[in-house]
Amino acid sequence: MIRRDFSERDIHMALDGELPGDERAAYDAWLDANPEMKARSVRYTADRAALRAAFAGVLDEPVPARLQKIVLGEAPVRVEASRSRWWLAAAAAAMLAVGGLGGYFAGIDRIGQEDPAEDQLAEQAIAAHVIYAAEKRHAVEVPASDKDHLQTWLSNRVGLKLVAPDLTANGFQLIGGRLLPAGDGKAAMLLYEDDKGERISLFVTAESTENAKGTYASAQDGPQAVYWLDKGYGCAVVGSLPREQLAVVAKSAYGQLLAGLAT
Amino acid sequence: MNEKKAAILGEIPRLRRYARSLLRDRDAADDLVQDCLERALVRLDNWQTGESPRRWLFTIMHHLFIDQMRKVNRRGEAAMLPLEAGEALAQPAEQVESIASREIIDALQAISPDRRAALVMVAIEGFSYAEAANILGVPAGTLMSRIARGREELRGLLDDTARRRAIRIVEK
Repeated sequence: MIRRDFSERDIHMALDGELPGDERAAYDAWLDANPEMKARSVRYTADRAALRAAFAGVLDEPVPARLQKIVLGEAPVRVEASRSRWWLAAAAAAMLAVGGLGGYFAGIDRIGQEDPAEDQLAEQAIAAHVIYAAEKRHAVEVPASDKDHLQTWLSNRVGLKLVAPDLTANGFQLIGGRLLPAGDGKAAMLLYEDDKGERISLFVTAESTENAKGTYASAQDGPQAVYWLDKGYGCAVVGSLPREQLAVVAKSAYGQLLAGLAT
Repeated sequence: MNEKKAAILGEIPRLRRYARSLLRDRDAADDLVQDCLERALVRLDNWQTGESPRRWLFTIMHHLFIDQMRKVNRRGEAAMLPLEAGEALAQPAEQVESIASREIIDALQAISPDRRAALVMVAIEGFSYAEAANILGVPAGTLMSRIARGREELRGLLDDTARRRAIRIVEK
């Protein structure tokens, strides 16, 4: 038998059944001698099992009648088919991949799950909201009437390119903002109000949150925070709105904040 | 019903699974299958006797998918899509998924379409490298590098998901 050097490429080939049978024993020996490669092989094997499991159920689903009808000739065949729907989904998927919002949407489904570690960002954001949203005359340092200055000032202080999201579609008008401490750094707080006087705030910081963890505090009366942490910045939307409504506003705010950061 | 049509009918579940792994959204995936079936019926005469129906159909569907993804990228339509549309479509249609499944499906959606297709073709659909390269219309070396990069990317995303808190609602 000719001995050859194996590489990571062989992990894929072995996994996909493409490794020649007479190389298998030598490959296994190589894996045993290379713990790092072995660990990689184990992870990829598990990922493949998870992938298969995730889609296994599709084969058991009943075939939609509209698909059968096409083959059986019971539905008129369109020569130029309408692709509007699925390509829109493809486009959306591409957008999610680019914007990194995939993780966000994945995460929001985990609402309510307990994470034992503390999350400073959410707690700071909630604390700031409790104090300042209750203020009638001194809620903000710089009013929305001076929006350009507000954005420039907070951007410079916090160290992020901040664009105050436009939440009018959600019924909220910008009141203004203020600068706050956040951990060892600074945070920008933007306050919004709807026509009933309900207030929500947006808390944004450039503080790296690598060590921070999500928190699920006990459910009591009080504002909730929808927050998102990423490398180099974190933001939270805080308010006492119904959970679904707050989530909708938060999504809108995130989208605009991200777009602003990218400019 | 003739033999060809019976063979096509038998492949629908597999086509649906492949489409679902490419697009996630159930209705959108079935639309892709529908387009594929319509194109296949129009071109029934092109289907050479002896050619595997599975390979023939997968090739048609893959071309539909990749052509559209390229158009989307070229026109920049993805970037112009309103957030709400992306959000609505990103939600699985009443599917019951475990968190692990959801995570890996999300991660799969986030890797590039070329790599996703190559990986799915081999890892889920069980095609050999030679078959998959043939269906995707790329050399075997390209296929292998797509599979390798796809796996790495997928694992990286799953590691990120585990590390990152993503988003949570905190009740106080």
